[in-house]
Amino acid sequence: MNPALWVSKTGLAAQEKQMSIISNNLANVNTVGFKRDRANFEDLFYHIERQPGALADQDNELPAGLQLGTGVKMTGTQKVFTPGSYETTKQALDLAIIGNGFFQFTQPDGTLAFSRNGQFHLDGDGQIVNASGLPLEPGIIVPAETTGISISEDGIVMATIQGQAESEEIGQINIANFVNPAGLVAQGGNMYLQSAASGDPIEGAAGQGGLGVLKQYTLETSNVSSVEELVNMISAQRAYEMNSKVIAAADEMMQFVNQTL
Amino acid sequence: MDKVLYISTAGANLAMKAQQVHANNLANVSTPGFRRDFVSSLSVEMVGDGHDTRVMPKTRGLGSRFASGAMDTTGRALDVAIVGSGWFAVQGGDGNEAYTRAGQLKVDEEGNLLTAGGLPVMGDGGPLQLPDRQSVAIGADGTVSIVPAEGGNPVEVGQLKLVNPDIKDIAKDRDGLFRTIAGEALEADPEVRLRSGFLEGSNVNALEEMVSFLSLSRQFEAQMKLMKTAGDMASAGDRLIRDQ
Repeated sequence: MNPALWVSKTGLAAQEKQMSIISNNLANVNTVGFKRDRANFEDLFYHIERQPGALADQDNELPAGLQLGTGVKMTGTQKVFTPGSYETTKQALDLAIIGNGFFQFTQPDGTLAFSRNGQFHLDGDGQIVNASGLPLEPGIIVPAETTGISISEDGIVMATIQGQAESEEIGQINIANFVNPAGLVAQGGNMYLQSAASGDPIEGAAGQGGLGVLKQYTLETSNVSSVEELVNMISAQRAYEMNSKVIAAADEMMQFVNQTL
Repeated sequence: MDKVLYISTAGANLAMKAQQVHANNLANVSTPGFRRDFVSSLSVEMVGDGHDTRVMPKTRGLGSRFASGAMDTTGRALDVAIVGSGWFAVQGGDGNEAYTRAGQLKVDEEGNLLTAGGLPVMGDGGPLQLPDRQSVAIGADGTVSIVPAEGGNPVEVGQLKLVNPDIKDIAKDRDGLFRTIAGEALEADPEVRLRSGFLEGSNVNALEEMVSFLSLSRQFEAQMKLMKTAGDMASAGDRLIRDQ
């Protein structure tokens, strides 16, 4: 059969995966703290029919070999940890990390999950939790009589309590960073889990040891640029079309052989 | 048998092989740093008895086009593109040095600087490894600097090995990386410039590939038509003999 058929098939498969990555990025264009994914393409192996530099005869070398490529593959996806843009809000429990680092949350099974999403809430016990109810690690309980909360750049949480002149320190928000954040496993729900590739979390106070600082009344929006994604979408779509055109042409050739001979 | 059959078979085979090359180029239209391949053919005269009518096509070999691909801004510090000519040196799967234009670099948990496909990137003295850091930056001459984990001023930790061989001396290998035809590692060239935050795309021109593909399809059909005609002629001859 015409080898071009199989080669273009790899092109179709790669562009299709690329499309699903783009659509996931676009779907999360308004997700707070979302980091976009990027596909990595690589050419597949080459079938070498004639080695360049091989001897054509006793005195002469072939200037070029004959290598036939076998297509393309997606080597993986990569989270792109460029910062999103920052948006000012009126919520005292909206926090953004300016710089490196992740908020840490305790999952129901006791292990830690990490997120850049700093939209915090209080649960029924006054504990600071994220939108899906996971408590911040280390846990911070806000007293019931609190009238105001202020969080400093280094993560110290101060509560103004009714009837007290001075505000009281009720806890500290630590953030964690990884040697290789791109190795984190995206778990959905804006959460990442550590993996062998990411290394262990390095926890510390915000602003120290390379960790970013915290900004209250601010949220980090998604780093997806919708214009860029749309352009990527068009180019993926066209590449898909061209590969399918090659399949059609290769198929017509085979059809012609069958009908003519 | 009529020799025209063999000539057209060779022509059809050549068209199919060339099509695989164009299909591979098109499949890699979005592969960063990809260099498109081309195939050329040669006419080889068959000498022997009879008229010297037989000239067979033969693939002369294949090379890659070295024009730069389009640059795309990504803003990622570890995306680097070479401006003009030049190559990144990486350690191929066989341990030998190989060259690529794909500059999507990444760092693993041990601090090794790797290509997107996981091959170690060569520095001035072997594969580059980065110490604990807050951030990485790559300068125009390939200098890699980091802000140490404890903060402070950026520190230089190495330099990417950038080479600039004559394009006649290198060829694409099985794994899609380029290697020297002679098999030796190249010297670093301090003149090569790169830009961080950019990624070089594939240099495939989709339109050109499509046109080549369609034209090869038609060539293939013409060869088939010739085979058919040869067959028709042979059967006409058979009929003549039978009818007598």
